[in-house]
Amino acid sequence: MTPVSRRTFLKVAGGAGTGLVLGFELPAKQRARAGSVPPPAPGYPAQDGTPTYEPNAYLEIAPDGTVTVQIFRSEMGQGVETAFLMIVADELEANWDMMVPVQARPASVYGNQVTADSRSISLSWDVLRAVSAAARTMLVEAAAQQWGVDAAECRAENHSVVHDGSGQSLGYGELADAAAALPVPGMDEVTLKDPADFKFIGQPMGQLDNPDFVTGAAQFCSDIRLDGMLYATIARCPVFGGTVASYDDSAALAVEGVRQVQQVGNYGVAVVAESTWAAIQGRAALDVTWNEGDNATFNSEDVFEELAQRAHDEIMAMDDGADANIILDAGYQIPYLAHAPMEPMCCVAHYTGETLEIWAPTQHRQDVLGRAAETSGLGHERITVHVPLLGGAFGRRLESDFAIDAVLVSMAANAPIKLFWSREDDIQHDYYHPLTYQLKYKKLDPESSSLDSRQRVDNIPTGPWRSVDNVPEALVNECFVDEVAHAAGYDLIESRRWSYGDSPRGAVMERAVELSGWNDPLPDGHARGIAVHSTFGVTHVAQVHEISVADDGTLTIHRIVCVVDCGRVVNPDMAEAQIEGGIVFALSAALGSEITIENGRAVQSNFHDYSILRFDEIPPIEITFVESEEPPQGVGEMGVPTTMPALLNAIYNLTGKRIRRIPIRAEDLRAS
Amino acid sequence: MADYTLTINGESVTVTVSPDTPLLWILRDTLGLTGTKYGCGRGLCGTCTVHRDGEAVRSCMLTADNVGDSAITTIEGISPDGSHPVQAAWIEESVAQCGYCQPGQIMQAAALLAENPDPTDEEIDAAMSGNLCRCGTYSRIRRAVHRAAEGGGS
Repeated sequence: MTPVSRRTFLKVAGGAGTGLVLGFELPAKQRARAGSVPPPAPGYPAQDGTPTYEPNAYLEIAPDGTVTVQIFRSEMGQGVETAFLMIVADELEANWDMMVPVQARPASVYGNQVTADSRSISLSWDVLRAVSAAARTMLVEAAAQQWGVDAAECRAENHSVVHDGSGQSLGYGELADAAAALPVPGMDEVTLKDPADFKFIGQPMGQLDNPDFVTGAAQFCSDIRLDGMLYATIARCPVFGGTVASYDDSAALAVEGVRQVQQVGNYGVAVVAESTWAAIQGRAALDVTWNEGDNATFNSEDVFEELAQRAHDEIMAMDDGADANIILDAGYQIPYLAHAPMEPMCCVAHYTGETLEIWAPTQHRQDVLGRAAETSGLGHERITVHVPLLGGAFGRRLESDFAIDAVLVSMAANAPIKLFWSREDDIQHDYYHPLTYQLKYKKLDPESSSLDSRQRVDNIPTGPWRSVDNVPEALVNECFVDEVAHAAGYDLIESRRWSYGDSPRGAVMERAVELSGWNDPLPDGHARGIAVHSTFGVTHVAQVHEISVADDGTLTIHRIVCVVDCGRVVNPDMAEAQIEGGIVFALSAALGSEITIENGRAVQSNFHDYSILRFDEIPPIEITFVESEEPPQGVGEMGVPTTMPALLNAIYNLTGKRIRRIPIRAEDLRAS
Repeated sequence: MADYTLTINGESVTVTVSPDTPLLWILRDTLGLTGTKYGCGRGLCGTCTVHRDGEAVRSCMLTADNVGDSAITTIEGISPDGSHPVQAAWIEESVAQCGYCQPGQIMQAAALLAENPDPTDEEIDAAMSGNLCRCGTYSRIRRAVHRAAEGGGS
């Protein structure tokens, strides 16, 4: 049994008959987060110190025995609801069938609730275990008092407390009220379970919502229907940053079912209708004249040259001017990349003048609350933010733009509004992975340390895209390790050993070398490539890709071996799915999807020209998790970073062609 | 606007919509059958797949005036309680991540198995290649289709 570290419990006690309700205040250090997503701006509840919503608890045990767990992170396909319940059920010794998740409201008690950087479990692991252990301790004490025995003679087992000496037992529901009347135990009285006794953690538990996913009953934001709800879609300037000059709504209003046409801020014109189709038709009939603004001459293909020059100048300013016999000068290009979750942006908002209720599939509910307050002028206490299931997110739903769209239109229309984006809106008005040019420069013979310059432009909206800066970091660093090794005559694995040594990163590499048979002979025309990376510094992944390339440039990935060290695996079903999903996500970017900007407009608009991987393009993927007793770390983004460099390195090892831009084109691969 | 009498999940329903309204929006907005999802609106992703006389079709591309007498089945209608072999296999393999595209995947797979009770990997890939999943659940879908086939087809 592991004593828990000292923490402050809050007990939010209900009255008689409401059961045991436990809240918990996060220690300050847990609130701080380093990473790509900025902390909430002033005015958000997490910072102003005045909670605007009274959370009932972290967990609540009702007199009927139901255990309700507040899920204070967004469910977007990573299985966070299932994992939270597994952790609580294990430490509480609960019956799995009695566990119920609810999505928590934005509230300061949870600290920063952003669902990002694959931290939902790593930041919650200690908290959930501690609060669940405290609840278990209180239930045991309540039973011991009723029986007049020492609590040490009692044990918790399958949703009840048992006293072996007398053979008595009482269910958690029966004990909940009595437990709620007890003082919260001091930390020296709470002990965490021995991990060897975990029943749920480490077992494949699928996903809670699986039965609803397969019947269509699962409720996404786009499925919400309110009485009197109208449907709205917004026409935006095709040029990023453009504004509305004027519009003629006569044809739009003539479409049957269209109720209103409203300008939204300075950036768009909303068509509000009785149905989705009427809104779509109304928008097609709408005539808007735009002020296209400064971006109207921007072309993304032209900008790489300028960025290359900037990077070169920066490197030259750093260079010591020493002579060398070999100079490696390698510029890598990554285009804008759209997130394209299968559910396009959507938000339901109902503004009444006094209150505002929002259903937002957001990764950042506190940002939605804060921005909705600014937009509506209502206090946080008058705004309710619900977070339904997210139909994919990948970083896109860290932005609150789509929620503010809905708030603005509901305010203007004075009605509950379902604000929906078309796929074209989604692809053409994303916050893309930034277009990146990164130059690596290194001298050999004599060898110097490498110089590095990463360049971007900031006129097109960009944001976190699954694994964020780990995309260029892993791609550039792991390709360049190979470039140096090839130029210097080093072994590809041995040269990584010099850097990674016996670190966890080195260990996953060694395992991948072993499992892939790196040193085994390959069929003619096949080659392997490797990449290793520690995403956000916490989860270590190595991938080996085995490929071949036909004369016409057709690339085949025959096998991907992936080794992951993410600490203890909570739910192997979802952990494996996340790693595999990350690999597939990255392969889409490597092999086809890119956003190009011409005259300030995104050229691509839908899945015919923003292609993502299809069934027949999926290679066999073998994923192995390193056994670990360490606390769990993230998996959601961790399959992404090593995918592209492992593939590009395999291509070089096979063809001698060093491709330094994605997506890979067939002409890059064709036999010359 | 015009009245159309449609056969949806075995029931006859009359809806009043414009003739060019895609079946997708009739299902979702008019009838409240929200299990069928929008993904692209152009027949490119398969998310809105339903059955028309047993054949998988994209409901975003089928307009009200073209449905005619055909029998439409949606995800809500392929079994009364989620017990269709494909649905059961999807749970067994824990296919879903975000879950949004899965009704369309299941409808496509059910139509495939009705026609070909024991498809090979290649046949699954060919039949399913119009159904996109951004979460990358493809390999589990393939496993689930095989499992459903072993469980007696559909």
